[in-house]
Amino acid sequence: MSSPLLEAQDLKKSYDDGRVQALRGVDFRIEAGEYVAISGPSGSGKSTLLHMLGGLDLPSSGQVLFRGAALGKTVNLDTYRSLQIGFIFQAFHLLPTLCALENVQVAMLAKHERSNHRVERAAALLEEMGLSNRLRHYPNELSAGERQRVAIARALANKPAILLADEPTGNLDSVNSAHIMEILEGIREQRGMTLIVVTHEQDIAASAPRHIRIRDGRIEA
Amino acid sequence: MPSQLSFTGFAWKNLWRRRLRTLLTLGGITMGIGAFVALVGFSRAFETEWMRLYTSAGTDIAVVQTNFVKSELDQSLGAKIAALPDVARCVPMIFNLMDLTPDVNAIVYGWPADSYELDALTFVSGGRFHDGQRELILGQSLANDLKKIPGDTLSLEGTDFKIVGVYHGGSALVEGAVIMPLDQMQIISSMQGKVTAFHVRLRPVPPGISYDDYVKRAESEIEAAVPQVLADPAADRAANNAVVELAHSVAWGTSSIALFIGILGIANTMAMSVFERTHEIGILRALGWKSQHVILLILTEATALGFSGGLIGIVVGWGVLRLLAALPETGNIVSASVSPLHLVESLLIAVASGLAAGAYPAWRGARLSPVEALRYE
Repeated sequence: MSSPLLEAQDLKKSYDDGRVQALRGVDFRIEAGEYVAISGPSGSGKSTLLHMLGGLDLPSSGQVLFRGAALGKTVNLDTYRSLQIGFIFQAFHLLPTLCALENVQVAMLAKHERSNHRVERAAALLEEMGLSNRLRHYPNELSAGERQRVAIARALANKPAILLADEPTGNLDSVNSAHIMEILEGIREQRGMTLIVVTHEQDIAASAPRHIRIRDGRIEA
Repeated sequence: MPSQLSFTGFAWKNLWRRRLRTLLTLGGITMGIGAFVALVGFSRAFETEWMRLYTSAGTDIAVVQTNFVKSELDQSLGAKIAALPDVARCVPMIFNLMDLTPDVNAIVYGWPADSYELDALTFVSGGRFHDGQRELILGQSLANDLKKIPGDTLSLEGTDFKIVGVYHGGSALVEGAVIMPLDQMQIISSMQGKVTAFHVRLRPVPPGISYDDYVKRAESEIEAAVPQVLADPAADRAANNAVVELAHSVAWGTSSIALFIGILGIANTMAMSVFERTHEIGILRALGWKSQHVILLILTEATALGFSGGLIGIVVGWGVLRLLAALPETGNIVSASVSPLHLVESLLIAVASGLAAGAYPAWRGARLSPVEALRYE
Protein backbone atom coordinates (compact mmCIF):
# COMPACT_ATOMS: atom_id res chain seq x y z
CA MET A 1 0.00 0.00 0.00
CA SER A 2 1.42 3.42 -0.96
CA SER A 3 1.84 6.18 1.64
CA PRO A 4 -0.86 8.83 1.83
CA LEU A 5 0.05 12.40 0.91
CA LEU A 6 -0.32 13.56 4.52
CA GLU A 7 -0.72 11.57 7.67
CA ALA A 8 -1.13 12.82 11.23
CA GLN A 9 -0.01 10.28 13.84
CA ASP A 10 -1.08 10.87 17.44
CA LEU A 11 -0.45 14.61 17.18
CA LYS A 12 -0.24 16.41 20.51
CA LYS A 13 0.62 20.03 21.11
CA SER A 14 0.84 21.76 24.46
CA TYR A 15 1.88 25.25 25.51
CA ASP A 16 2.98 26.87 28.77
CA ASP A 17 4.76 23.76 30.07
CA GLY A 18 1.76 21.56 29.39
CA ARG A 19 -0.84 23.77 31.10
CA VAL A 20 -2.56 24.44 27.73
CA GLN A 21 -3.20 21.43 25.52
CA ALA A 22 -4.16 22.52 21.99
CA LEU A 23 -4.08 19.02 20.46
CA ARG A 24 -4.60 15.86 22.49
CA GLY A 25 -3.84 13.07 20.02
CA VAL A 26 -5.02 13.54 16.46
CA ASP A 27 -4.79 10.83 13.78
CA PHE A 28 -5.94 10.99 10.14
CA ARG A 29 -4.75 10.44 6.58
CA ILE A 30 -5.26 12.67 3.58
CA GLU A 31 -4.78 11.35 0.06
CA ALA A 32 -3.46 13.38 -2.87
CA GLY A 33 -6.15 15.46 -4.57
CA GLU A 34 -8.58 15.35 -1.63
CA TYR A 35 -10.63 18.35 -0.48
CA VAL A 36 -10.87 18.28 3.29
CA ALA A 37 -12.61 20.77 5.55
CA ILE A 38 -11.54 21.03 9.18
CA SER A 39 -14.03 22.75 11.44
CA GLY A 40 -14.50 23.39 15.10
CA PRO A 41 -15.24 26.13 17.59
CA SER A 42 -12.70 28.79 18.53
CA GLY A 43 -9.82 27.32 20.52
CA SER A 44 -10.54 23.80 19.38
CA GLY A 45 -7.03 23.45 17.92
CA LYS A 46 -7.89 23.57 14.20
CA SER A 47 -5.43 26.35 13.35
CA THR A 48 -2.71 24.65 15.41
CA LEU A 49 -3.36 21.51 13.39
CA LEU A 50 -3.14 23.47 10.13
CA HIS A 51 0.18 25.01 11.19
CA MET A 52 1.59 21.53 11.79
CA LEU A 53 0.29 20.18 8.50
CA GLY A 54 1.91 23.22 6.81
CA GLY A 55 5.26 22.77 8.52
CA LEU A 56 5.06 26.05 10.42
CA ASP A 57 5.24 24.32 13.78
CA LEU A 58 6.20 20.94 15.22
CA PRO A 59 4.05 18.81 17.54
CA SER A 60 5.01 18.23 21.16
CA SER A 61 4.64 14.54 20.39
CA GLY A 62 3.47 12.46 17.48
CA GLN A 63 4.38 13.29 13.91
CA VAL A 64 3.16 14.51 10.53
CA LEU A 65 4.23 12.38 7.58
CA PHE A 66 4.44 13.77 4.06
CA ARG A 67 4.47 10.91 1.55
CA GLY A 68 5.63 8.69 4.42
CA ALA A 69 8.50 10.95 5.56
CA ALA A 70 8.36 12.72 8.95
CA LEU A 71 8.23 16.53 8.82
CA GLY A 72 11.08 18.15 10.76
CA LYS A 73 13.05 14.89 10.76
CA THR A 74 13.35 13.43 7.28
CA VAL A 75 11.76 16.42 5.57
CA ASN A 76 13.19 19.91 6.16
CA LEU A 77 10.35 22.25 7.15
CA ASP A 78 11.61 25.24 5.15
CA THR A 79 11.99 23.17 2.00
CA TYR A 80 8.61 21.56 2.58
CA ARG A 81 6.87 24.94 2.91
CA SER A 82 8.72 26.32 -0.07
CA LEU A 83 8.01 23.46 -2.47
CA GLN A 84 4.87 21.68 -1.29
CA ILE A 85 2.66 24.15 0.60
CA GLY A 86 0.63 27.18 -0.39
CA PHE A 87 -0.85 29.11 2.54
CA ILE A 88 -3.98 31.26 2.42
CA PHE A 89 -4.86 33.26 5.53
CA GLN A 90 -8.01 34.84 6.86
CA ALA A 91 -6.33 38.28 7.06
CA PHE A 92 -4.74 37.85 3.60
CA HIS A 93 -1.29 38.81 4.94
CA LEU A 94 -0.25 40.73 1.83
CA LEU A 95 2.83 42.92 2.16
CA PRO A 96 1.63 46.55 2.16
CA THR A 97 4.65 48.01 0.34
CA LEU A 98 4.29 45.69 -2.65
CA CYS A 99 1.75 45.84 -5.45
CA ALA A 100 -0.30 42.77 -6.38
CA LEU A 101 2.21 41.60 -8.97
CA GLU A 102 5.10 41.97 -6.52
CA ASN A 103 3.22 40.27 -3.69
CA VAL A 104 2.88 37.16 -5.84
CA GLN A 105 6.54 37.31 -6.85
CA VAL A 106 7.76 37.59 -3.27
CA ALA A 107 6.87 33.95 -2.70
CA MET A 108 9.12 32.99 -5.59
CA LEU A 109 12.13 35.03 -4.43
CA ALA A 110 13.27 32.19 -2.20
CA LYS A 111 13.60 29.93 -5.24
CA HIS A 112 16.37 30.32 -7.79
CA GLU A 113 14.21 31.29 -10.73
CA ARG A 114 14.85 33.89 -13.40
CA SER A 115 13.18 37.21 -12.68
CA ASN A 116 11.35 37.37 -16.03
CA HIS A 117 9.89 33.90 -15.33
CA ARG A 118 8.76 35.09 -11.92
CA VAL A 119 6.96 38.14 -13.20
CA GLU A 120 5.36 36.29 -16.12
CA ARG A 121 4.07 33.57 -13.82
CA ALA A 122 2.80 36.09 -11.28
CA ALA A 123 0.94 37.99 -14.01
CA ALA A 124 -0.55 34.78 -15.38
CA LEU A 125 -1.79 33.72 -11.93
CA LEU A 126 -3.34 37.13 -11.26
CA GLU A 127 -5.03 37.02 -14.65
CA GLU A 128 -6.40 33.61 -13.73
CA MET A 129 -7.81 35.20 -10.58
CA GLY A 130 -9.49 37.87 -12.70
CA LEU A 131 -7.12 40.60 -11.54
CA SER A 132 -5.38 41.51 -14.80
CA ASN A 133 -6.47 45.13 -14.32
CA ARG A 134 -5.17 45.21 -10.73
CA LEU A 135 -1.54 44.13 -11.24
CA ARG A 136 -0.05 47.37 -10.02
CA HIS A 137 -2.53 48.09 -7.29
CA TYR A 138 -1.34 48.02 -3.69
CA PRO A 139 -3.25 46.06 -1.04
CA ASN A 140 -4.88 49.21 0.34
CA GLU A 141 -6.23 49.92 -3.14
CA LEU A 142 -7.93 46.51 -3.42
CA SER A 143 -11.22 45.23 -2.04
CA ALA A 144 -11.20 42.40 0.52
CA GLY A 145 -12.21 39.87 -2.12
CA GLU A 146 -9.49 41.09 -4.48
CA ARG A 147 -6.89 40.87 -1.72
CA GLN A 148 -7.81 37.29 -1.03
CA ARG A 149 -7.54 36.47 -4.73
CA VAL A 150 -4.03 38.00 -4.76
CA ALA A 151 -3.24 35.82 -1.73
CA ILE A 152 -4.50 32.74 -3.60
CA ALA A 153 -2.33 33.62 -6.61
CA ARG A 154 0.61 33.98 -4.23
CA ALA A 155 -0.14 30.59 -2.66
CA LEU A 156 -0.04 29.01 -6.13
CA ALA A 157 3.20 30.75 -7.15
CA ASN A 158 5.54 27.88 -6.30
CA LYS A 159 3.19 25.18 -7.70
CA PRO A 160 2.58 23.49 -4.35
CA ALA A 161 1.07 20.03 -3.90
CA ILE A 162 -1.14 21.19 -1.02
CA LEU A 163 -3.20 24.34 -0.48
CA LEU A 164 -3.83 25.15 3.18
CA ALA A 165 -6.49 27.78 3.77
CA ASP A 166 -7.02 29.12 7.29
CA GLU A 167 -10.52 30.66 7.47
CA PRO A 168 -10.17 31.99 3.88
CA THR A 169 -13.62 33.59 3.94
CA GLY A 170 -13.50 34.89 7.50
CA ASN A 171 -13.10 38.53 6.44
CA LEU A 172 -15.42 38.40 3.42
CA ASP A 173 -19.10 39.01 2.75
CA SER A 174 -21.27 36.16 1.53
CA VAL A 175 -20.89 36.98 -2.17
CA ASN A 176 -17.10 37.15 -1.99
CA SER A 177 -17.02 34.07 0.27
CA ALA A 178 -18.85 32.03 -2.31
CA HIS A 179 -16.57 33.36 -5.06
CA ILE A 180 -13.40 32.49 -3.16
CA MET A 181 -14.61 28.95 -2.38
CA GLU A 182 -15.56 28.53 -6.01
CA ILE A 183 -12.02 29.57 -7.04
CA LEU A 184 -10.40 27.21 -4.51
CA GLU A 185 -12.48 24.25 -5.61
CA GLY A 186 -11.80 25.09 -9.26
CA ILE A 187 -8.04 25.19 -8.60
CA ARG A 188 -8.20 21.78 -6.89
CA GLU A 189 -10.11 20.25 -9.75
CA GLN A 190 -8.01 21.74 -12.55
CA ARG A 191 -4.63 21.21 -10.94
CA GLY A 192 -5.36 18.06 -8.98
CA MET A 193 -4.07 19.69 -5.81
CA THR A 194 -4.94 18.72 -2.26
CA LEU A 195 -7.09 21.38 -0.55
CA ILE A 196 -7.39 21.61 3.21
CA VAL A 197 -9.66 24.37 4.50
CA VAL A 198 -10.00 25.31 8.15
CA THR A 199 -13.34 27.00 8.76
CA HIS A 200 -15.89 27.64 11.43
CA GLU A 201 -18.62 28.17 8.81
CA GLN A 202 -20.75 25.04 8.70
CA ASP A 203 -22.05 25.49 5.16
CA ILE A 204 -18.50 25.63 3.78
CA ALA A 205 -17.45 22.64 5.88
CA ALA A 206 -20.54 20.72 4.80
CA SER A 207 -19.87 21.36 1.10
CA ALA A 208 -16.46 19.62 1.28
CA PRO A 209 -16.37 15.93 0.30
CA ARG A 210 -14.63 15.18 3.59
CA HIS A 211 -15.20 16.97 6.86
CA ILE A 212 -13.06 16.62 10.02
CA ARG A 213 -14.57 18.10 13.18
CA ILE A 214 -12.28 19.07 16.03
CA ARG A 215 -13.29 19.84 19.59
CA ASP A 216 -10.98 20.32 22.58
CA GLY A 217 -7.97 19.15 20.60
CA ARG A 218 -9.51 15.86 19.48
CA ILE A 219 -11.29 14.69 16.33
CA GLU A 220 -14.99 14.16 16.99
CA ALA A 221 -16.31 10.79 16.00
CA MET B 1 6.76 43.19 -18.21
CA PRO B 2 6.41 45.82 -15.45
CA SER B 3 7.08 45.55 -11.71
CA GLN B 4 9.76 42.88 -11.67
CA LEU B 5 10.65 42.24 -8.06
CA SER B 6 14.25 41.40 -7.26
CA PHE B 7 15.74 40.60 -3.89
CA THR B 8 17.57 43.93 -3.75
CA GLY B 9 14.48 45.75 -5.04
CA PHE B 10 12.49 44.25 -2.18
CA ALA B 11 15.19 45.36 0.28
CA TRP B 12 15.04 48.94 -1.08
CA LYS B 13 11.25 49.01 -0.77
CA ASN B 14 11.57 47.94 2.85
CA LEU B 15 14.05 50.72 3.53
CA TRP B 16 12.03 53.32 1.68
CA ARG B 17 8.84 52.69 3.63
CA ARG B 18 10.42 54.61 6.54
CA ARG B 19 11.95 57.38 4.50
CA LEU B 20 12.88 59.76 7.29
CA ARG B 21 14.52 57.06 9.39
CA THR B 22 16.40 55.74 6.37
CA LEU B 23 17.59 59.23 5.43
CA LEU B 24 18.72 59.96 8.98
CA THR B 25 20.58 56.66 9.08
CA LEU B 26 22.18 57.48 5.74
CA GLY B 27 23.18 60.83 7.24
CA GLY B 28 24.99 59.03 10.06
CA ILE B 29 27.01 56.71 7.85
CA THR B 30 27.62 59.55 5.38
CA MET B 31 29.14 61.57 8.20
CA GLY B 32 31.40 58.67 9.19
CA ILE B 33 32.61 57.91 5.69
CA GLY B 34 32.86 61.61 4.83
CA ALA B 35 35.09 62.13 7.87
CA PHE B 36 37.16 59.11 6.86
CA VAL B 37 37.62 60.30 3.28
CA ALA B 38 38.43 63.87 4.29
CA LEU B 39 40.63 63.28 7.32
CA VAL B 40 42.47 60.14 6.29
CA GLY B 41 42.74 61.50 2.75
CA PHE B 42 44.17 64.70 4.18
CA SER B 43 46.75 62.86 6.29
CA ARG B 44 47.73 60.56 3.42
CA ALA B 45 48.06 63.44 1.01
CA PHE B 46 50.23 65.05 3.66
CA GLU B 47 52.44 61.94 3.68
CA THR B 48 52.59 61.91 -0.12
CA GLU B 49 53.67 65.54 -0.17
CA TRP B 50 56.30 64.76 2.42
CA MET B 51 57.59 61.98 0.17
CA ARG B 52 57.69 64.39 -2.77
CA LEU B 53 59.72 66.77 -0.63
CA TYR B 54 62.48 64.16 -0.54
CA THR B 55 62.15 62.69 -4.02
CA SER B 56 61.95 66.03 -5.82
CA ALA B 57 65.25 67.08 -4.23
CA GLY B 58 66.93 63.67 -4.66
CA THR B 59 67.29 62.98 -0.94
CA ASP B 60 67.95 59.29 -0.20
CA ILE B 61 68.24 59.31 3.59
CA ALA B 62 67.02 61.58 6.38
CA VAL B 63 69.06 61.59 9.58
CA VAL B 64 67.24 62.62 12.77
CA GLN B 65 67.69 62.29 16.51
CA THR B 66 66.80 58.85 17.89
CA ASN B 67 63.68 58.51 20.06
CA PHE B 68 62.76 62.19 19.96
CA VAL B 69 59.51 63.55 18.61
CA LYS B 70 61.18 66.92 18.06
CA SER B 71 64.61 66.13 16.66
CA GLU B 72 67.59 68.34 17.55
CA LEU B 73 71.12 67.47 16.47
CA ASP B 74 74.51 69.17 16.64
CA GLN B 75 75.30 70.74 13.30
CA SER B 76 78.89 69.50 13.60
CA LEU B 77 77.72 65.91 13.13
CA GLY B 78 77.13 66.73 9.46
CA ALA B 79 80.86 66.64 8.74
CA LYS B 80 81.13 63.06 10.04
CA ILE B 81 78.24 61.94 7.86
CA ALA B 82 79.55 63.75 4.79
CA ALA B 83 82.90 61.98 5.20
CA LEU B 84 81.38 58.50 4.84
CA PRO B 85 82.26 56.70 1.59
CA ASP B 86 78.72 56.25 0.21
CA VAL B 87 77.60 59.82 0.98
CA ALA B 88 77.74 62.32 -1.87
CA ARG B 89 76.13 65.28 -0.05
CA CYS B 90 74.92 65.88 3.48
CA VAL B 91 73.05 69.08 4.20
CA PRO B 92 71.69 70.29 7.53
CA MET B 93 68.18 71.70 7.81
CA ILE B 94 65.77 73.14 10.33
CA PHE B 95 62.06 72.65 9.99
CA ASN B 96 59.33 74.49 11.88
CA LEU B 97 55.71 75.58 11.57
CA MET B 98 55.16 79.30 12.14
CA ASP B 99 52.35 81.82 12.11
CA LEU B 100 53.14 84.29 9.34
CA THR B 101 50.00 86.33 9.86
CA PRO B 102 47.01 85.80 12.20
CA ASP B 103 45.34 83.87 9.34
CA VAL B 104 48.21 82.14 7.60
CA ASN B 105 50.70 79.67 8.99
CA ALA B 106 53.33 77.89 6.97
CA ILE B 107 56.27 75.55 7.14
CA VAL B 108 59.54 77.44 7.47
CA TYR B 109 62.79 75.73 6.43
CA GLY B 110 66.30 76.75 7.19
CA TRP B 111 68.71 75.54 4.50
CA PRO B 112 72.30 76.51 3.77
CA ALA B 113 72.58 78.57 0.60
CA ASP B 114 74.59 75.82 -1.06
CA SER B 115 72.07 73.06 -0.26
CA TYR B 116 71.46 70.70 -3.17
CA GLU B 117 67.76 70.91 -2.30
CA LEU B 118 67.67 74.45 -3.68
CA ASP B 119 68.63 73.02 -7.09
CA ALA B 120 65.19 71.31 -7.25
CA LEU B 121 63.36 74.66 -7.11
CA THR B 122 62.37 76.65 -10.18
CA PHE B 123 62.45 80.39 -9.60
CA VAL B 124 59.41 82.23 -10.90
CA SER B 125 60.90 85.59 -9.96
CA GLY B 126 63.99 86.76 -8.11
CA GLY B 127 66.66 84.29 -7.03
CA ARG B 128 68.37 82.48 -4.16
CA PHE B 129 69.12 83.90 -0.69
CA HIS B 130 72.61 84.26 0.76
CA ASP B 131 73.93 82.84 4.02
CA GLY B 132 74.23 85.39 6.78
CA GLN B 133 71.66 87.73 5.23
CA ARG B 134 68.15 88.51 6.43
CA GLU B 135 66.70 87.12 3.26
CA LEU B 136 64.18 84.46 2.39
CA ILE B 137 62.34 82.94 -0.54
CA LEU B 138 58.64 82.04 -0.79
CA GLY B 139 56.80 79.21 -2.48
CA GLN B 140 54.53 80.45 -5.22
CA SER B 141 51.23 79.52 -3.60
CA LEU B 142 52.28 81.09 -0.30
CA ALA B 143 53.45 84.22 -2.08
CA ASN B 144 50.06 84.44 -3.77
CA ASP B 145 48.24 84.01 -0.45
CA LEU B 146 50.41 86.66 1.22
CA LYS B 147 50.36 88.86 -1.90
CA LYS B 148 54.14 89.24 -1.69
CA ILE B 149 56.72 89.63 -4.42
CA PRO B 150 60.52 89.87 -4.42
CA GLY B 151 61.60 93.11 -2.77
CA ASP B 152 58.83 93.00 -0.14
CA THR B 153 59.57 92.16 3.46
CA LEU B 154 58.14 89.48 5.71
CA SER B 155 58.34 89.63 9.49
CA LEU B 156 59.17 86.42 11.34
CA GLU B 157 59.51 86.28 15.14
CA GLY B 158 59.86 90.07 15.19
CA THR B 159 62.62 90.19 12.57
CA ASP B 160 62.10 91.63 9.10
CA PHE B 161 63.36 89.52 6.20
CA LYS B 162 63.68 90.63 2.60
CA ILE B 163 61.95 88.44 0.06
CA VAL B 164 64.51 87.78 -2.66
CA GLY B 165 62.74 85.12 -4.73
CA VAL B 166 59.53 83.27 -5.42
CA TYR B 167 59.85 79.68 -6.54
CA HIS B 168 57.84 76.72 -7.75
CA GLY B 169 58.57 73.48 -5.84
CA GLY B 170 57.93 69.79 -6.37
CA SER B 171 55.88 69.32 -3.22
CA ALA B 172 53.04 71.25 -1.58
CA LEU B 173 55.19 71.25 1.55
CA VAL B 174 57.73 73.35 -0.32
CA GLU B 175 55.31 75.15 -2.61
CA GLY B 176 53.54 76.63 0.42
CA ALA B 177 56.67 77.19 2.49
CA VAL B 178 59.22 79.81 3.48
CA ILE B 179 62.91 78.96 3.01
CA MET B 180 65.61 81.04 4.61
CA PRO B 181 69.31 80.70 5.35
CA LEU B 182 70.02 78.07 7.99
CA ASP B 183 71.97 80.49 10.17
CA GLN B 184 69.08 82.98 10.22
CA MET B 185 66.62 80.22 11.07
CA GLN B 186 68.90 79.13 13.94
CA ILE B 187 68.83 82.68 15.29
CA ILE B 188 65.08 83.17 15.24
CA SER B 189 64.52 79.62 16.58
CA SER B 190 67.19 79.94 19.29
CA MET B 191 68.91 76.86 17.87
CA GLN B 192 72.42 78.14 17.29
CA GLY B 193 74.67 75.21 16.36
CA LYS B 194 71.69 72.88 16.20
CA VAL B 195 69.66 71.44 13.32
CA THR B 196 66.50 69.38 13.00
CA ALA B 197 67.88 66.84 10.52
CA PHE B 198 70.47 66.11 7.88
CA HIS B 199 69.38 65.24 4.38
CA VAL B 200 71.71 62.85 2.63
CA ARG B 201 72.14 62.25 -1.07
CA LEU B 202 74.10 59.07 -1.79
CA ARG B 203 76.64 58.47 -4.52
CA PRO B 204 75.39 56.57 -7.57
CA VAL B 205 74.42 52.96 -6.78
CA PRO B 206 77.49 50.76 -7.34
CA PRO B 207 77.13 47.78 -9.68
CA GLY B 208 75.98 44.46 -8.20
CA ILE B 209 73.79 45.91 -5.45
CA SER B 210 70.14 46.99 -5.45
CA TYR B 211 69.12 50.53 -4.51
CA ASP B 212 67.33 49.31 -1.38
CA ASP B 213 70.34 47.29 -0.21
CA TYR B 214 72.59 50.25 -0.96
CA VAL B 215 70.43 52.56 1.15
CA LYS B 216 70.38 50.01 3.99
CA ARG B 217 74.18 49.78 3.86
CA ALA B 218 74.48 53.54 4.00
CA GLU B 219 72.03 53.74 6.89
CA SER B 220 74.15 51.26 8.87
CA GLU B 221 77.30 53.21 8.07
CA ILE B 222 75.73 56.47 9.27
CA GLU B 223 74.30 54.99 12.47
CA ALA B 224 77.65 53.28 13.24
CA ALA B 225 79.62 56.46 12.63
CA VAL B 226 77.28 58.75 14.56
CA PRO B 227 75.58 57.18 17.57
CA GLN B 228 72.28 58.66 18.82
CA VAL B 229 71.02 59.26 15.31
CA LEU B 230 68.41 57.48 13.26
CA ALA B 231 69.09 57.18 9.53
CA ASP B 232 65.85 56.49 7.68
CA PRO B 233 65.27 55.93 3.98
CA ALA B 234 63.34 58.90 2.62
CA ALA B 235 60.20 56.79 1.98
CA ASP B 236 60.14 55.55 5.59
CA ARG B 237 60.83 59.01 6.95
CA ALA B 238 57.86 60.38 5.03
CA ALA B 239 55.58 57.77 6.61
CA ASN B 240 57.13 57.63 10.06
CA ASN B 241 57.92 61.17 11.02
CA ALA B 242 56.15 62.49 14.05
CA VAL B 243 54.04 65.08 12.24
CA VAL B 244 52.71 62.60 9.69
CA GLU B 245 52.10 59.96 12.37
CA LEU B 246 50.20 62.50 14.45
CA ALA B 247 48.12 63.48 11.41
CA HIS B 248 47.36 59.80 10.72
CA SER B 249 46.42 59.13 14.35
CA VAL B 250 44.10 62.13 14.59
CA ALA B 251 42.51 61.26 11.22
CA TRP B 252 41.91 57.61 12.07
CA GLY B 253 40.78 58.36 15.62
CA THR B 254 38.28 61.03 14.62
CA SER B 255 36.88 59.15 11.65
CA SER B 256 36.64 55.91 13.69
CA ILE B 257 34.44 57.69 16.21
CA ALA B 258 32.27 59.09 13.41
CA LEU B 259 32.09 55.65 11.76
CA PHE B 260 31.16 54.01 15.05
CA ILE B 261 28.26 56.45 15.43
CA GLY B 262 27.20 55.64 11.86
CA ILE B 263 27.34 51.89 12.54
CA LEU B 264 25.23 52.34 15.68
CA GLY B 265 22.70 54.24 13.55
CA ILE B 266 22.40 51.40 11.04
CA ALA B 267 22.23 48.79 13.82
CA ASN B 268 19.45 50.74 15.54
CA THR B 269 17.52 51.17 12.28
CA MET B 270 17.80 47.51 11.36
CA ALA B 271 16.87 46.35 14.87
CA MET B 272 13.78 48.60 14.81
CA SER B 273 12.94 47.43 11.31
CA VAL B 274 13.12 43.74 12.26
CA PHE B 275 11.00 44.41 15.35
CA GLU B 276 8.36 46.26 13.31
CA ARG B 277 8.33 43.59 10.60
CA THR B 278 8.08 40.56 12.88
CA HIS B 279 4.67 39.73 11.42
CA GLU B 280 5.94 40.13 7.84
CA ILE B 281 8.91 37.88 8.56
CA GLY B 282 6.37 35.28 9.70
CA ILE B 283 4.51 35.66 6.39
CA LEU B 284 7.75 35.26 4.43
CA ARG B 285 8.61 32.13 6.40
CA ALA B 286 5.12 30.74 5.72
CA LEU B 287 5.69 31.44 2.02
CA GLY B 288 8.75 29.22 2.05
CA TRP B 289 11.52 31.66 2.88
CA LYS B 290 14.29 29.94 4.80
CA SER B 291 16.17 31.49 7.75
CA GLN B 292 19.06 32.18 5.37
CA HIS B 293 16.76 34.19 3.10
CA VAL B 294 15.64 36.34 6.05
CA ILE B 295 19.29 36.88 7.04
CA LEU B 296 20.16 37.74 3.45
CA LEU B 297 17.29 40.24 3.19
CA ILE B 298 18.22 42.07 6.40
CA LEU B 299 21.91 42.08 5.55
CA THR B 300 21.09 43.35 2.05
CA GLU B 301 19.14 46.23 3.59
CA ALA B 302 21.96 47.03 6.04
CA THR B 303 24.57 46.77 3.29
CA ALA B 304 22.51 48.98 0.99
CA LEU B 305 22.46 51.60 3.75
CA GLY B 306 26.22 51.26 4.21
CA PHE B 307 26.93 51.34 0.46
CA SER B 308 24.68 54.34 -0.22
CA GLY B 309 25.98 56.19 2.82
CA GLY B 310 29.48 55.35 1.63
CA LEU B 311 28.89 56.77 -1.84
CA ILE B 312 27.39 59.98 -0.49
CA GLY B 313 30.11 60.13 2.17
CA ILE B 314 32.83 59.90 -0.48
CA VAL B 315 31.32 62.84 -2.37
CA VAL B 316 30.95 64.86 0.85
CA GLY B 317 34.45 63.93 2.07
CA TRP B 318 35.99 64.83 -1.25
CA GLY B 319 34.17 68.14 -1.19
CA VAL B 320 35.47 68.85 2.32
CA LEU B 321 38.98 67.93 1.22
CA ARG B 322 38.81 70.31 -1.72
CA LEU B 323 37.48 73.01 0.57
CA LEU B 324 40.35 72.45 3.03
CA ALA B 325 42.82 72.60 0.18
CA ALA B 326 41.35 75.93 -0.91
CA LEU B 327 41.60 77.53 2.54
CA PRO B 328 44.74 79.59 3.24
CA GLU B 329 45.11 78.00 6.71
CA THR B 330 45.39 74.46 5.34
CA GLY B 331 45.91 74.78 1.61
CA ASN B 332 49.63 75.48 1.92
CA ILE B 333 50.28 72.25 3.76
CA VAL B 334 48.64 69.73 1.49
CA SER B 335 47.10 69.35 -1.95
CA ALA B 336 43.57 67.95 -2.40
CA SER B 337 44.36 64.65 -4.04
CA VAL B 338 42.49 61.46 -3.15
CA SER B 339 43.79 58.18 -4.50
CA PRO B 340 41.30 55.76 -6.12
CA LEU B 341 42.56 53.17 -3.63
CA HIS B 342 41.42 55.40 -0.76
CA LEU B 343 37.97 55.73 -2.34
CA VAL B 344 37.66 51.96 -2.79
CA GLU B 345 38.86 51.48 0.79
CA SER B 346 36.22 53.96 2.02
CA LEU B 347 33.48 52.14 0.15
CA LEU B 348 34.62 48.78 1.50
CA ILE B 349 34.61 50.17 5.04
CA ALA B 350 31.09 51.51 4.46
CA VAL B 351 29.84 48.13 3.21
CA ALA B 352 31.61 46.30 6.04
CA SER B 353 30.02 48.73 8.51
CA GLY B 354 26.58 47.90 7.08
CA LEU B 355 27.25 44.18 7.33
CA ALA B 356 28.54 44.47 10.90
CA ALA B 357 25.59 46.62 11.95
CA GLY B 358 23.06 44.28 10.31
CA ALA B 359 24.49 41.05 11.70
CA TYR B 360 22.66 40.99 15.04
CA PRO B 361 19.25 42.15 13.70
CA ALA B 362 19.58 39.55 10.92
CA TRP B 363 20.34 36.82 13.42
CA ARG B 364 17.34 37.86 15.52
CA GLY B 365 15.05 37.93 12.50
CA ALA B 366 16.17 34.48 11.41
CA ARG B 367 15.55 33.02 14.85
CA LEU B 368 11.89 34.06 14.93
CA SER B 369 9.48 31.13 15.02
CA PRO B 370 7.21 31.37 11.94
CA VAL B 371 4.08 30.73 14.02
CA GLU B 372 5.01 33.23 16.74
CA ALA B 373 5.91 35.80 14.09
CA LEU B 374 2.59 35.29 12.28
CA ARG B 375 0.69 35.82 15.54
CA TYR B 376 2.60 39.03 16.26
CA GLU B 377 0.63 42.19 15.55
